[in-house]
Amino acid sequence: MKKVKGKLILYIKDLLLFKRLKAFFYVLIFLLVGETVQYLTDIPIAGNIIGMVLLFLALQQKLIQLEDIKPASDKLLEFLVLFFIPYGVGLMVYFDLVEAFWLPMSGAVIVSTLLTLYVTALIVEKFGK
Amino acid sequence: MRDIFQFPLFAIALTVLFYFLARRIRNKWDIFFFNPVLLSIAGIIFFLNSFDIEFDTYNKGGKILTFFLGPAVVALGAFFYEKYEQLRQDLKVIFIAVVIGGLCGVFSITLFLVLLKMPDFLVRSLASKSVTTPIAIEITKVVDGIPDITAGIVIAVGIFGNTCGPFFLRHMGIKNKKAVGAALGTAAHGIGTARAIEEGQLPGTYSGIAMCLNGLITAFLTPYILYLFL
Repeated sequence: MKKVKGKLILYIKDLLLFKRLKAFFYVLIFLLVGETVQYLTDIPIAGNIIGMVLLFLALQQKLIQLEDIKPASDKLLEFLVLFFIPYGVGLMVYFDLVEAFWLPMSGAVIVSTLLTLYVTALIVEKFGK
Repeated sequence: MRDIFQFPLFAIALTVLFYFLARRIRNKWDIFFFNPVLLSIAGIIFFLNSFDIEFDTYNKGGKILTFFLGPAVVALGAFFYEKYEQLRQDLKVIFIAVVIGGLCGVFSITLFLVLLKMPDFLVRSLASKSVTTPIAIEITKVVDGIPDITAGIVIAVGIFGNTCGPFFLRHMGIKNKKAVGAALGTAAHGIGTARAIEEGQLPGTYSGIAMCLNGLITAFLTPYILYLFL
């Protein structure tokens, strides 16, 4: 038990490293700018996706270094799955609503997925080196 | 006793617990439908149902977790940049393939659902079925669908692509490994990319960048495509 506690404290210490918090702060700034752009222009794209594009562009233009972002972005992506599990759980509320459309919906999703797979692969196969 | 379910911390602890359990199970038995996300979601739903806990009660803590999707999606920008650096020379072909493939995905699912006379809310919730779950959720919010339905379907699509994708493509005569990688990333996002990584490092990278690109393309175009149909 003591060993587990020690490990946990080390883990939390690592999670709260100064450079990680600083990197997280940068990520939040990009999020804030993205949300603001979304709010001001009213385009139908989520603010965090705009923030993602801005972060990409800033890295590409060397306005910010990858090392400054990575301590936070790596951790966020490590736990990415955890952050959307509650939405998956929310499916339980809509079970009855979706149940009636189950079969045609699955059919449409499967055919569309196969089509996407094939079209993408075919283009790379034909024109890729 | 039941009062503890009311605490937001309860839901967070429950989710983290199930997630780590699911990862353990996956590491022990590597079977495709033992996908950690799928297992955690099924486990939590089962737990909530057994103890007769309402989703809204659970979601008090759930909301705190999903809040982090905001910064996490921004962080995908850094991931995208890393992949982009690795693949510069081949970017043009991939870009064209992913744009056409991705558009094909959104158009076909929307068209099929409309032809099958499915209700509006389903069309709106399923249009972004091929892109990574956090982005798909944001798209669904923007187009007024139900993000919870999106999450479930997107994960199912990923598992389908992961298990059947390479087999299907081989049968259709695709031999190029890069092509298989790009297709898996475009059609089946992160879960498909996991399979592409198993096929090799090169297809893995192709899949990663295809996933990012398609996330962006779908995010930018889905609202307008839906506007055409609905």
